[in-house]
Amino acid sequence: MNHKGGWALIKNTWQSWLQHRGFFFLLAFGWMLPLLVYLFIWSAAAGEGSLAGLTQESLAGYYLVLILVNQLTYSISNWTVGDNIRYGQINRWLLQPMSPLYHSLSSEIAGKVVFMLFSIPITALLAIIIQPRFNLTWSQGLLFIPAVLAAWALRFFWGYWLALLAFWATRADSLLALQDSFIFLFGGHLAPIALLPAWMRSIAQILPFRYMSAFPVEVLVGQLTTREILVGFAYQAGWTVVAFILYRLVWTRGVRHYEAIGG
Amino acid sequence: MRHLKLIASFFKVSTQAELAYRSNFFIRLLNSFLSLGTGVLSLVVIFNQVETINGWSLPGTLALLGIYLLLGGLRGLFISPSLESVAGMDGEIWQGTFDFTMLRPVDKQFLVSFRNWRIYALFDVVLALGVLIYAIILLGETLSLGILLSFLLMLLASVILLYSSLLAFSALVFWNSGFLFTWIINDLFQLARYPVGLYPDWLRLILTWIIPVGLMTTIPAQALSGTLSPAMMAITLIFSLATLAGASWLFRRGLMKYASASS
Amino acid sequence: MNQPMIQVRNLTKNYTVPERAPGLGASIKSLVKPQFREVEAVKSIHLSIDTGEMVGLIGPNGAGKTTTLKMLSGLLYPTSGEATVAGFIPWKRQPDYLRRISMVMGNRSAMNWDIPPLDSFKVLSEIYRVPQQAYQQTLDELIALLDMEALLKKPVRNLSLGERMKCELVAGLLYQPDVMFLDEPTLGLDIAMQRRLRTFLKKYNDTHAVTVILTSHYMADVTALCPRVILIHHGELIYDGDLDTLAKSLAPFKLIKIQFASPIDNFSEFISQFSSVEELPSEQGHHVLRIPRQEIPQVTATLLEQFPVADLTVEDPPIEAVIDQIYEEGSV
Repeated sequence: MNHKGGWALIKNTWQSWLQHRGFFFLLAFGWMLPLLVYLFIWSAAAGEGSLAGLTQESLAGYYLVLILVNQLTYSISNWTVGDNIRYGQINRWLLQPMSPLYHSLSSEIAGKVVFMLFSIPITALLAIIIQPRFNLTWSQGLLFIPAVLAAWALRFFWGYWLALLAFWATRADSLLALQDSFIFLFGGHLAPIALLPAWMRSIAQILPFRYMSAFPVEVLVGQLTTREILVGFAYQAGWTVVAFILYRLVWTRGVRHYEAIGG
Repeated sequence: MRHLKLIASFFKVSTQAELAYRSNFFIRLLNSFLSLGTGVLSLVVIFNQVETINGWSLPGTLALLGIYLLLGGLRGLFISPSLESVAGMDGEIWQGTFDFTMLRPVDKQFLVSFRNWRIYALFDVVLALGVLIYAIILLGETLSLGILLSFLLMLLASVILLYSSLLAFSALVFWNSGFLFTWIINDLFQLARYPVGLYPDWLRLILTWIIPVGLMTTIPAQALSGTLSPAMMAITLIFSLATLAGASWLFRRGLMKYASASS
Repeated sequence: MNQPMIQVRNLTKNYTVPERAPGLGASIKSLVKPQFREVEAVKSIHLSIDTGEMVGLIGPNGAGKTTTLKMLSGLLYPTSGEATVAGFIPWKRQPDYLRRISMVMGNRSAMNWDIPPLDSFKVLSEIYRVPQQAYQQTLDELIALLDMEALLKKPVRNLSLGERMKCELVAGLLYQPDVMFLDEPTLGLDIAMQRRLRTFLKKYNDTHAVTVILTSHYMADVTALCPRVILIHHGELIYDGDLDTLAKSLAPFKLIKIQFASPIDNFSEFISQFSSVEELPSEQGHHVLRIPRQEIPQVTATLLEQFPVADLTVEDPPIEAVIDQIYEEGSV
């Protein structure tokens, strides 16, 4: 693999993204809003009391961190994979002495930086307005980092293998919309997992979507027991491996199929 | 009369274009059910935790969701596709083809507001009506003719408000063509999913008077439950007409700006 | 009606453009106190064009051609001056005016790409209120003239560039406008297609007496279609008249092409004795000389006298070369 070429590409992509930062700030704003809606709804629902042990302040803390984590793990490049296959961009990539994965990774890294330029100040401003409360400990902070990295990897590769189905079906990217809906329902967006009805909670526990977004947040804000954290990491690692294997499988099969039909 | 004939003709041609891509049918159907499903499930989750939020119960909020989906359906049916063809990404301003629109012997505001239709948005409209009727049954009220009429009147005012807001934001493209102003209002429209009374005071004021997405669903929902005073009804009507006048003025100013700008 | 179709007096257009020096400091300064500069795109132009004329508007890039065209079509307000087109003030864009003009641009499409052209035409006919019968008649005529029966049912995105241009022309002529603004209509087309479109425009103009203003980078378009040309440079109208006179007044030179019966050694030496004669790169074994018109007889005579000439022709330089020369020198 040509890592140096990959890094040059990342720098390049980052520069061109910075030039269009207005556009990306808008995207970031759009992703932030649904989470803000549910932050306000649950705050209103909790009122002066608490729901399942969550007060207004802790709900605010949960959602503000989730806004950042969601933007860190959301993979915008997944959406362009299908187009690149459909419009033949992939031909050029296949001829380059570098894994095409780098093209997606470079947009990922470049994108995160640009999104954070927008999201961190906005979240900080919101934190001043709505006054969240955290119980931060060092161990939670340390565990948060691997949890968020794995959440990104899981969400990226899961979306990537879905997007690569475009080798066979042109509009495979509608599966990404489905993935977003599942993350909304079972990934802690609509409600912190603790507030879901029991049947949804058990689904959320098993499916990969919670581990793509809510799990790192729960780790950081201290909603989980040590046992729950360990089980969570196990699920997260397991699903990430599955997602990576699926990606490799779909990619090799897909390229073969693509070459066979001649693009 | 002539305008109605033109609308019919625009509708026919747009529908033809849309039907040419068969996969769109299934994707739009999937998306319609996704937005219905996540919307209803959200309410189920919320009202599983609490009976009422700030006086809003499940049936009332469900009716409001129906109105939200209905407005979203109408927006997707023609308002957004038409306005985006001018001000959106790849729109005429970006591509430089707005010159042709300027030279058509038809009122420009009419032309840019009605010329593109997305027939599949009718799925959303039908599903929304289903939700609305179901919510009315849950509310257990017998609808008097007066309530029905005032509801329809307020719904009309909401459509005018929505259209005017989108028109005003689209008109901004004449001053800054690189920015996707319509996206902002599309994003903010998500806040109309819940009664404006559930939001913090500062946000409620913004959503009522500055960017009136809060009014669009809350007012018709109140009219439906018979809790809207005639005075408030009159104010809403006047406000919506004033917004329409303001947006049309802004659009005309935009055209003048366009006609005096460099190439 | 003896009034000219297009009448222009003192037409002027200034743009204000923001001016910013490079560098971060200057960017911040321009945020606080933006600097503007007036650019005169079109300077006090006078014109008069009669019904049925085909006029070529030429000039280098940035000369003000497009700005002029946009003011005449009604897309731009002028800074000052007057214009009437078909009796209307263009920039008021009254519907009755817009129905009498049309604008066709080579680099921009007025067609909906997702549907076949026929459907787009139908919608346009309703926008322009063309009665059903007249629509059918005009359409049949245009389709026959452009030989495009086969294209009508394919979505526009599947058409070639030339086929698309045919559609643009039909879209622009469906409602039988009196005035047509053609902005680079042959841009990017191959030679055969360029020729076909020219033939069409010529024929259409003959039968319908439509007034045409054409801009093009291909001089061949202008020479084939426009007996009259208007040359704009730096926003000023520097020539208005027929093309041949322009070429003659611009090019006081002719080209002599000579072939000798046997190789000549001292030819260059011979040339150097005439200070006004210039030798150009040779073409297919012919020597090419650029000579002022008035010296042609003398030089030719000397050549025939001193050298074993096998073949000698005197030609006008190609119009492209002449135009290039003006664009470079900036005056007539």
